[in-house]
Order: sequence, then C-alpha cells, then structure tokens
Amino acid sequence: MSLSFRISLSLIAGIFFGFIVVVLSCLLTATSFAEFAGEIRSPEIISAILLSLETSIAVVLLALLFGIPAAYILATKRFKGKNILDTLVDLPIVLPPLVCGLAILIAFGGDGIFNRFDVLFTVKGIILAQLFVASPFLIRSAKTAFESIDQDVMDAARTLGASEFYTFKKVSLPLAQGGIASGVVMTWARALGEFGATAMVAGCIPYRTETMTVGIYMHAMSGDISASIALSLILASFAFTTLIVFKYLGTIGDGNLETRGAAA
Amino acid sequence: MIQLDGICKSFGENEVLSSLDLSAKKGKMFVLLGSSGCGKTTTLSVIAGLTKEDKGDIYLDGERINDTPPHKRGIGFVFQNYALFPHLNVYENVEFGLKAGNKRSTRGGNKTEVKRALELVGLDGFENRNPMKLSGGEQQRVALARALATEPECILMDEPLSNLDAVVRERLRHEIAQLQRDIGLTSIYVTHDLVEAMALGDRIAVMNNGRIEEAGTPEKIFYKPENEFVARFIGMKNIFEGKIAALDEDNGVLQVSTGNFDLTTVFVPSSVGTRVKACVRPEEIILAKSDQNTNVRSARNEIAGRIVSISQNGPLMRVLVDVGGDEMSVDITRLAARDLGLNRGDRVLLTFKATSVYMIL
Repeated sequence: MSLSFRISLSLIAGIFFGFIVVVLSCLLTATSFAEFAGEIRSPEIISAILLSLETSIAVVLLALLFGIPAAYILATKRFKGKNILDTLVDLPIVLPPLVCGLAILIAFGGDGIFNRFDVLFTVKGIILAQLFVASPFLIRSAKTAFESIDQDVMDAARTLGASEFYTFKKVSLPLAQGGIASGVVMTWARALGEFGATAMVAGCIPYRTETMTVGIYMHAMSGDISASIALSLILASFAFTTLIVFKYLGTIGDGNLETRGAAA
Repeated sequence: MIQLDGICKSFGENEVLSSLDLSAKKGKMFVLLGSSGCGKTTTLSVIAGLTKEDKGDIYLDGERINDTPPHKRGIGFVFQNYALFPHLNVYENVEFGLKAGNKRSTRGGNKTEVKRALELVGLDGFENRNPMKLSGGEQQRVALARALATEPECILMDEPLSNLDAVVRERLRHEIAQLQRDIGLTSIYVTHDLVEAMALGDRIAVMNNGRIEEAGTPEKIFYKPENEFVARFIGMKNIFEGKIAALDEDNGVLQVSTGNFDLTTVFVPSSVGTRVKACVRPEEIILAKSDQNTNVRSARNEIAGRIVSISQNGPLMRVLVDVGGDEMSVDITRLAARDLGLNRGDRVLLTFKATSVYMIL
C-alpha cells in the first residue's frame, strides 16, 4: 500500500468516525449533569424507562418461545414452502416498522380479523409491535446456529437411544446456545429501540404507552429537549452495553466448546 | 442378525440403493466394501433408521424394524468423523446413551458402565478430558466406547478408520477386530479399503451402484470372485475373454481359447463353445527369460511373450508382458527382477498352474 493511499484512506475513515463521535457527543454537551439527574428523577421518565425494559424483556421471552421452534424447524426439516417461510421471517427486518405498525393496527382495529383482542393503545400492543419487528433477529441467529451443528452429531444421539426431543434438549440447544444468545441480544436491542411500529400501534399516552423512544420523540416535539436528551443518553448507554456484550458473545460464539474445554 | 430385503432408496432422481439384499450373521463381522458413492453409507443409515427407505424390509433378529424409530432400534453407530458431542467431556459422551435410553436417576448410577466401556477401548482415565482435544484415534475410541456402553444389539461402523493415519489405523483395526470377536457383537463395517475388509470381515460383500455384486468369505472374494466387477475391484489384472475350446475330464482340466493363446484350467462341467472370462492372478505367474530353464514341471500353462514395461507396484514389481496381442500382468519381487536382469523388449516365458487360472462364467 502506498503512503498517499494509506493517508487518503485514513482521512476518509477519520471523517466518518469523527462525524459519529461529534454528533453523539452533542447529546452530552447539550445537557449538564444536574439537568440530567433532575430529568431521570421525573416520574414520567422513570415510567418510560421501566415500560421499555418491561416490554423489551417480554419481547425477548416471547421471541424465545416462538422463535426457537421456528428456527429449529427451518434449520433441520425439509418441507414444501420452506423457502417462502424463510423469506417471510426476514420480511420484518427489511420492512419499514411503520408499515408493520400499520398492518397490526388494521388487523387488530375495528374491522380487523383480530378485533376482539384489546391490543391497540395498550402495553400488549407495544409488545406485539416490538415482537413483530424484533423477533426475526433471534430466529435468524438461532437458525444459523442450528444449521451449523454437524448432522452426524445429532444422528449419533439418535442411535444412542435419544428421542428427537431429548436430542433437541441435550445436543441441539446446548450447541446452539452461542447463536441463540447473540440473537437474544440483538432482539432485545431492536425491541428497546423500536419506535415506528410501537407509536403506530400503541400511540403516545404518557405513563401508559410511552416507551423511551416514544418519549424522546414526544418531548423533543413539544420542546422539552432536556427530557429527550436524558432518555437518549440512557438509551445510548443501554445500546453501548449491548454492543459490548454482543462483541463478547461473538468472541465466544460457536467457540463455546473451546472455553469449556479450557475450563475442563 | 440383520437382514435387508429389496431395499430401494432414491434421493430425487438419483437412485442410491436398488433392491438391495443383505444378510449379516449374528455375532459376526460383515464388511460392506465398495468405492465412494456406491451406497454403503446409505445402507448403514437405512439400517439405523436415520434414512427412510423407499421400499423393502429391514429385519433385526427376525423382527421387522422398518417403522421403529432410530432411538428404539438398539443399533449402535460409529461415524467416520467420530461425531462426538463437543459440549460434553469424555465421560459425559460415553454416558449420553445410558442417560438417554433409560430415564432413571443417574447419580453415580452409570459410573461402572462408563468405566467399563472406556476400559474396553483403552481410555481409562480420560473421563474428564475434552474430546475435541484428543487425537483422531482417541476420538474414535471414545465414539466406540460411547456406542458400546449402550450394549447395542449390533453395531454399524462407517469407515471409522479412514480419517486416521496409517499407523493408528492399523493398530485400531486390530483392536476393533479383537473387540468384536471378544464381545461377539453383530457388526456391519463399511470401507473402501481392501486390506481393511480382508483383515476384518468374516464375510465381505462388494457393493456397486446400490446393490451387492457378490458376498462371501474374504478367501472367496479375494481369490475366487465369481463376478467380473468384483474381480476388477479387488485388483485382478489378467481377465481374458474366451471360449471353452476343449474338455478333458479324465485329466481334470479344460482349455480356454482367447484367440491369442490357450489357457489350461481346472475342469468344471460345461460345454465346448461356452463364452467365459478366464482370470490369472499376477502373483501366481512365474516369469523367466526364454533362454532359461524354468523347472516348473507341474505348470500346465506356458506362454511366451515380450516385456512391455516394468514398474513399481507397492513392494513388488509389475511386469507387463505382451502375449500374442493381449497384455498379461506379472508380479515379481524386486530381488527376482534384479536377478533375472529384465529389460523392456526381453523375450520371456510365463508359466503358471491350472489351478492359478479360474473362470468367471
């Protein structure tokens, strides 16, 4: 690599990284510690934080419950229409969340097929919207993990007298745990940051359906910028922690055998 | 005893097993020999219940097991790539089948069984090791112990030694043979390796294109195959098409004419004019220079020829001799080749007994 090329590369990359750092640090410089401390004691902010945590954790649990079987089937079974199903799982990832939100709104609205469920403008609605948008991340990650398990290893379990369920429980799940864990982290992060679908389905009712992201938008629009900043900083710290955890999981990831082996 | 009747299996358009019949005797080692892609592995997979056959019946000790799921068949399986559980240590790997099979509490309950299985394969003391950190040979021993611990009705081994280096392979092959005989475990062993098949098999079946070409004792398969594919597969070099030219029951011989030369072989009831293939084993031919006296009085066959090429064939030398338009391979020792001072183009005399010639009818 020539020197001038190296310098131009560094320069371009530097501009990019600089931009990110400068923009994000604006959040910090626009507030003071006293102001921040005051904001996060406000009942509305605390309510939004708790609601976000509650709903995103519920989403993770539900995604595990529905996503693991879906991922396992997609990874191990052969059936007609599997490709369609596989694409369907990815759809919410590429679809704008607003579109997902609108679809839920119509499905559960007055004339919708699910209109007897009381979901709109409730916490249930938030969970549903976040689940819709975030669960594909878990399914995708778990599916890849299940797929990477050697078929012979699962066959070996069967010939040793293990039923399909026992094999799933004692072989597939433990071997896929790295992938499932990183899927959980991604899904949680996505649910926590969900705004479009949530706002569409649950609206922005303070103390009832105001999640952190919805709160940031509402407060910023109504001129209460310091509340927005406080929520944003908390969200950013969550995101940063998630990223570190995710990187850590990535390093152990499928290599969990290695770490286990070292411990043994 | 394992018996397969008319097993068919296709993957899409590709027919892998076509009406396969097989019978492996109780307590014996049955070797399935064939080149890759001939359906050996699929056969094992069908027996174990890991692959569902399209047609045909599978019997284990007389009982039809087509609809028995793999975990209830009691058939052990040893894989080419070991297929150990990477998240479990050696002890837990061997214990897996004991825990999976019966749901009883395992608080120390399986210790003796696991220990015994590990002792069988010489891995006593390896309990807490990470299987992924073991050598290939050790990993395959763990896999063997894991399969044996469940005390299966029979065991299927799919090229278990082919990923190992030659020294380990030979040692483990010997141990597997010993172990199988000691336990008297009904076994089906898949390999593409002639030496392995010869060393291990009580019976050998040569597979080709999803069916068994010929099954028999190692002796039979290697020295008197009745099937041309099998003859070629085991490395039979000199196979000549010909016609029965003369029968001489009194002297117990008959003549086969290939058109280029005549071969004398042991008498079998047949009629003149029948088309046959006659085989001569390259190592049973004595080669001498035409001007030397051979002194092989009992040899019924004497054919003159000219050396086409001399090449290394394992520890032996292979001499290719032109005999009236056909080529005949002769294997001689290096020492013999040097003593004879053979060169390309030399005129030589090939002599062999009538019993060294046999026919594929």
